[in-house]
Amino acid sequence: MKRSKAQPRALGPRSAETDVDVVVIGGGVNGTGVARDAAMRGLRVALLDRHDIGFGASGNSSGMIHGGPRYLTADPHVTETSCRDSGHIQAIAPHLLFRIPFLMPLARGPLSWGWMLLVDGFFQAYDHFQPLKRGKPHVRLRPDELRQLEPGLCGELQGGMAFDEWGIDGVRLCVANAIDAEERGARVLTGVTAERIERDADGAVCAVVHRDRTTGHSGRITTRTVVNASGAWAPVTASLAGLPAKTARVRPGKGIHVVFDRRLSNYAIMAYSIDGRQIFIEPWQNVSIIGTTDDDYYGDLDRVTATSEEVRYLVEGIAHVFPAVRRGRIIGTYAGVRPTLYAYGPNEDALSRDHQVVDHAEHGAAGLYSMLGGKLASYRLFAEEMTDVLGRALGVRTPCASHSSPLPGGDEALDPAALARELGIDEIAARRLVYRHGSRARRVAERVLRRPAEARRICVCEPVLEAEVRYVLGHEHARSVGDVARRTRLGLGPCGGMRCACRAGLLVADELGLDPAEGKRQALRFLTEQARTRSVGLGTEQARQEALGIAHLRAQLGLRAEGARGV
Amino acid sequence: MFERVVVIGAGIAGLSAVHAALPRGAEVKLIDGPPGASALAGGAVDDQPWEQVERACELLGASPVAGPVAPEIEAFVQALGVWELCRPGAPLCRLATEAGRIRLARGRDRALLDLAGLPRGARVLLPRVARPEWDADALGRALSEEPYARDHELRFEAVTATMLRLGGEERVVSAELAARHDQPARLEWLAERLRETLGLERQAERRVDAVLLGPWLGAEAPRAAALAEKLGVPVGEILSGVGSAPGQRFEAARDRMLGALGVQREARRALSVRAVEAELRIEAEGAGVALVADRLVLATGGVAGGGIRYAPPERDAGADEPPAARVPFVLSLAAPVALAAFGRRLEIVGSVHGPALDESAWPTGADPSLLECVGIACHGPVAAERIYAAGDVVADRPRTRLEAVRSGLRAGAAAAGEPGDP
Repeated sequence: MKRSKAQPRALGPRSAETDVDVVVIGGGVNGTGVARDAAMRGLRVALLDRHDIGFGASGNSSGMIHGGPRYLTADPHVTETSCRDSGHIQAIAPHLLFRIPFLMPLARGPLSWGWMLLVDGFFQAYDHFQPLKRGKPHVRLRPDELRQLEPGLCGELQGGMAFDEWGIDGVRLCVANAIDAEERGARVLTGVTAERIERDADGAVCAVVHRDRTTGHSGRITTRTVVNASGAWAPVTASLAGLPAKTARVRPGKGIHVVFDRRLSNYAIMAYSIDGRQIFIEPWQNVSIIGTTDDDYYGDLDRVTATSEEVRYLVEGIAHVFPAVRRGRIIGTYAGVRPTLYAYGPNEDALSRDHQVVDHAEHGAAGLYSMLGGKLASYRLFAEEMTDVLGRALGVRTPCASHSSPLPGGDEALDPAALARELGIDEIAARRLVYRHGSRARRVAERVLRRPAEARRICVCEPVLEAEVRYVLGHEHARSVGDVARRTRLGLGPCGGMRCACRAGLLVADELGLDPAEGKRQALRFLTEQARTRSVGLGTEQARQEALGIAHLRAQLGLRAEGARGV
Repeated sequence: MFERVVVIGAGIAGLSAVHAALPRGAEVKLIDGPPGASALAGGAVDDQPWEQVERACELLGASPVAGPVAPEIEAFVQALGVWELCRPGAPLCRLATEAGRIRLARGRDRALLDLAGLPRGARVLLPRVARPEWDADALGRALSEEPYARDHELRFEAVTATMLRLGGEERVVSAELAARHDQPARLEWLAERLRETLGLERQAERRVDAVLLGPWLGAEAPRAAALAEKLGVPVGEILSGVGSAPGQRFEAARDRMLGALGVQREARRALSVRAVEAELRIEAEGAGVALVADRLVLATGGVAGGGIRYAPPERDAGADEPPAARVPFVLSLAAPVALAAFGRRLEIVGSVHGPALDESAWPTGADPSLLECVGIACHGPVAAERIYAAGDVVADRPRTRLEAVRSGLRAGAAAAGEPGDP
């Protein structure tokens, strides 16, 4: 085990002379997790993200906190910690979890019965970890049973396995952590980039200079510790402290997902890509997702997008066992870059999914730490380890409680049906609201009770009420139409935002006191970006819809060469 | 000259072709598939994309003034009866959009409110209506902040008003609400409610120069003028999105026009066109005998209208392999014409999966999208021998309504044996 290689060095007790005790750079699941844990232990925290909470890998994952059976043979402790921490996440954010039963069909062929036995044995080993995350033991299925469960499966089957994983909305998990941190005193700044990490004469960290990328306002926060939780951006962030990028080196692995309208299958299905990689199709919330790729990435991390070539690679792989995917309607794609631990040589899939805290005191920058690697499923544990290091450095002995104290919204279960009746909204809208906000849906409901007009549905595909849009703008650090979409899934349904983005833009402008023209600009930017994520997977009907959408936008907003300057 | 002309597609271009071919003595048959872009579009009537017009005016520092219109086009618009074009030399229309913009237009559906006709400093009321597409307060703020509104001191204000009469009208689609205002009694009821609102405004000594509503003023015909007359102030619709009342009004007007011309619209999907000696044979769905024509006008619409289909080979692939390579766009019926985009013939892509539309499916900068450009390669109205094309199905032409009229009239005239050029 090479976890937490950092030997914590004491920096001396916390001092009131600095603005905060720790600046966390990066609003992904690791950054928000550390911000929350540190704030829970009484540290004064500032959290910055260059884009938005959940903008990178955390918000663009497969949407599962799976136990990682894939790592069972090479990295068994990764499987164990993932399962254990997945159990903790369920306890603190039960509203965000949903069960995703998986089927793993095995093709008939020479020696396939032997392969079946092997896989069975493998899952018996995995069953050992399942209770940690309240998972069910695997089941061995005959071909006829498999076809009964999933009639769309094709080919000659030897049999298969069913096992059990958990789905989650990664962005909501990050937002819940960030909000909890803020309610415990942390400062949360989205759309704010760290420009420089200042160090004193001894090389120790003393401040972070930051700039708001929208307003251009700069600021400086004094601190004695900085956590670089910027994921794939980690080497970029290390450079801001004047360190060589290799001190926080990762092996950036791009992964894409393709989103289909509706749930195409009853169960998640494992398949193998043409090059033998495990890929899957999963029903996720109200869509189906196929994923994923893992390719070394050298491009710009601020604009990572899927290409039609990657989409075809996945579709071809899934069509191999589930041909109906070809007739599915692709409503979007997304891409993220994993901050995998650095190694030169191994194939992407063979890289360790472990995580590691680097104490940059060994590079002469005391007080700077980098969080490298990690998985969504074990983010809380990684954050705990990081915060332990901070605690020891700053002389804070409070034990971690992030596994026992519920995240915002996770404290109490709300009945969506009762909420729907009370607000006079439909039950689906209420269920989606309760899924996203847990018991905090009450706060959105109170807005509606005060101002019934806010019960208006802004987004029809993914029912989103005006009250929820205003709530995430007022209380969850959303600053643009894209930020609202990330938090509420507004505009991410089959219409691609055609019906709702403009109205959401006007609400953003209204709620944040911006010029309405800025709201329209944001809407156009969001629509254009979303359209580009669909362009890589167009089918016949989608192409027509796209052409109508372009005509609609030209008529309503105008598509101007200079990025809608006229708006 | 007496010709048998078949027109495929009863959108704006097909209707124009019928309108031009009939008086020239042709015997015209019109066949039509499912609704296309004309039936789905909103109420703006343009000759060129309005963003280009706006940009040209900005660059030249000129004020946007309507240019001349060919008399044939003017006559067609008159005959259709639901559009109003700006008079040549007059300022272009200014339409408020549901997205909160004020934009230019060469003309409009008659139910739409033309803001260019309002005096400087005008106060426009937007009644608050509990409908999902309508947020009077937000729209009012957005429109008031538009550069045109600021320059002309237009103010858009939300007011409380009653507009919905029956239970459930908050939820019916906007086109249904528009249809209810075709009934004179219901329109009178609406006028009465709006009069109450205007009365209160006048009591408080606040001026009212116009009333702006959603796309709710008639499905058979535009009812805005009748309502304005009852109220004594201009009343009109906002420019709405795809699939609302202006499309329905176009379809109703088309059917009236065809009735007057004595042409029947056969609702059948055309499947194929073949040249057999000096004739064209057109196979359509549900017909035993092929239609025979001397000349054909294809007005089937572009990608948006369904006349051109994107058909990458991978779509029909089985579980294991893609089919043979092919041209990724096809006409919705088999016809001996060639497709083109960006001035070049479409060809087979070097991949059996199909093309990569990553960059071309959506407009970039000043470049239009491939989906807006792909169409039949034509020389003027001529697509192939005895075959003419009009409207959005023609490659690389602006996808605007007046362009559809212009090309439709020209194709219709040419098919009837007279290569006129309106």
